[in-house]
Amino acid sequence: MTKFFRIAARNVFRNPRRTAFTLLVIVFGAVSLILAGGFIANNFQGLRELTIRNGLGHLQIFTNAYMNGPEERPLQLGIENPAELQKWLEAQPHVTASAPEIEFVGLISNGEKSEAFLGRGIDPDRQSDLGFNVNIKNGRPLGTTSGESEVILGTGLARNMNAKIGDPLTLLGTTTDGALNAIDVRVVGFFSSGIKEFDARALKVSVPTAQTLLDSTRVTKLIVKLDDTGNTEPARAAIAAGLTGMGRSDLGLRTWRDLASFYKQVVMLYSSIFLFLGVIIVVLVVLSSSNTMMMTVFERVQEIGTLLALGTRRRQIVTIFLFEGLVIGVIGGVLGCIAGYGAMLGINAAGITMPPPPSFDRGILLNINFVPGLYGAVFALVALTLVISAMVPAIRAARLHIVDALRHV
Amino acid sequence: MTEEAIQLREVRRTYRLGKTTVPALEDVSVDIRRGEFTAIAGPSGSGKTTILNIIGCIDKPDGGRLLINGEDVTDRPLHALAGLRNRYFGYIFQTFNLIPVLTAYENVEYPLLLAGVRREERRERVGSLLQSVGLTAHAKHRPQELSGGQRQRVAIARALVTRPLAVLADEPTANLDSRTGNELLDLMAELNETEQVTFLFSTHDAKILEKARRVLSLHDGRLVETKAAELLHAVAGGRA
Repeated sequence: MTKFFRIAARNVFRNPRRTAFTLLVIVFGAVSLILAGGFIANNFQGLRELTIRNGLGHLQIFTNAYMNGPEERPLQLGIENPAELQKWLEAQPHVTASAPEIEFVGLISNGEKSEAFLGRGIDPDRQSDLGFNVNIKNGRPLGTTSGESEVILGTGLARNMNAKIGDPLTLLGTTTDGALNAIDVRVVGFFSSGIKEFDARALKVSVPTAQTLLDSTRVTKLIVKLDDTGNTEPARAAIAAGLTGMGRSDLGLRTWRDLASFYKQVVMLYSSIFLFLGVIIVVLVVLSSSNTMMMTVFERVQEIGTLLALGTRRRQIVTIFLFEGLVIGVIGGVLGCIAGYGAMLGINAAGITMPPPPSFDRGILLNINFVPGLYGAVFALVALTLVISAMVPAIRAARLHIVDALRHV
Repeated sequence: MTEEAIQLREVRRTYRLGKTTVPALEDVSVDIRRGEFTAIAGPSGSGKTTILNIIGCIDKPDGGRLLINGEDVTDRPLHALAGLRNRYFGYIFQTFNLIPVLTAYENVEYPLLLAGVRREERRERVGSLLQSVGLTAHAKHRPQELSGGQRQRVAIARALVTRPLAVLADEPTANLDSRTGNELLDLMAELNETEQVTFLFSTHDAKILEKARRVLSLHDGRLVETKAAELLHAVAGGRA
């Protein structure tokens, strides 16, 4: 094999200009894949962390009854004594914070106009501990010391209600017992999640305010923050085992991945786009490289004839050309990865801002992630692609008729 | 081991040129014995190269039989004869046909690599042959760094390195000046005498015909035993 590899490797540098052109195509393809993959990885990471920070947390604990079936009335299937559970949770490995949350729906009214809302009862201090960033556009976040019931409104809902900071509003909802209830709240701020449709319906109050409206001491769920998103699975397993050990088999866990359906859809969409892009680039590289290698076969017809005459077997001729493809592929893969890394650093340093994506009201910074696995995959793909590109020329070379090949000028 | 290295029996070969079929060889029968220094003479296009190609198992006859070292190989497809080509034949081409990316040493070594010869033996054989052809100092040179004569010397060394049954030389001096051609011819004649290597030439070079101990001439696709002197006379008279 060494002898064929030696011939192949030397042939690669026989026509430096042509090899350089082939390498240029390969490097272009590799850089495109690395940048596209790094950009998509950055988007995945950004969306994942945004999803987690926007209220999902890394883990959520519900009652199994809540997870298995719809509640007929708010907090009917909620968690009792959440404070005690929170204390235990925060002693578990990887857990850095936890917070209770209540989900409820109702109507909001200013006396003249009513709108349906999606409400969240939150603990503002705990939410800060979780790292949840409430993007306050106007006013202030919910307070923890004020005796008055406060509300912050999504920017869209505030617009729909013509609400101003300091305005009194009324929230109407159904209690856990099924009775209608209403409480007065004061608007202290407007927030934006970045998703317009959500902001047109969303409002947040403190947990006690929500519990007063719903007439219950329960909460819908406990949200758990971990030290690192990568520790989600080990933490989930440890907490699940701990809950079982404590005899709290009435409680169940969901990870952010289970709950982030939008994230999963985006990942699927982007992955399909990346795959499509990858296929196009591979086809371009295959066509270009195959054409170049075919030219080298035509130039070396007499040489191939000589090799065959000396006793080289046809499969060995194929091996020589496949090795040539592999050598170019390996060199191109290495150069492509280096160039891709350089391009990534350049783009990241340039601080380019992209227009806001659909449903977002602000632009995002163009950032390319360094994904070691992607570099490995691109390197392997390029090397494999070049071997595939060499396949047809190699077979063509091996099928040459010896006499015709020797006569070829 | 038979006395005859190569036996052709009523070998026929035709070529198709468009819609026309041109006979190159017609019922050619000949025995080439071990240690012969034989020249096949004939005008251009007479079929000299075709005979060498068929003997060297790089072309197939349309009819007749080919026996190499007593073994009938006629019906074996060309691709199955790669090992046999490597084991039994050394080739010297008019255009030298060295592998451009290999050094002189590596070009000579290549057939031994194919044959799976051990490194020590390869080193010994290649070194000895490069010395015989006077190219020890040029062992690391690539073909483009060598003169025409030096390239053909490398080709001779390559042809001999496997200790073949026969060396098939197709117009080996055609691309060389007469002095270099004579030197190489003397070298091959010496190797024939000292090593008993069988040489089979296709040529119309008078110098080769002079040196050849046996001359076969091709006329109208048929091979006939000829005396070198007659042929040289014919060459001198411009009729061949």
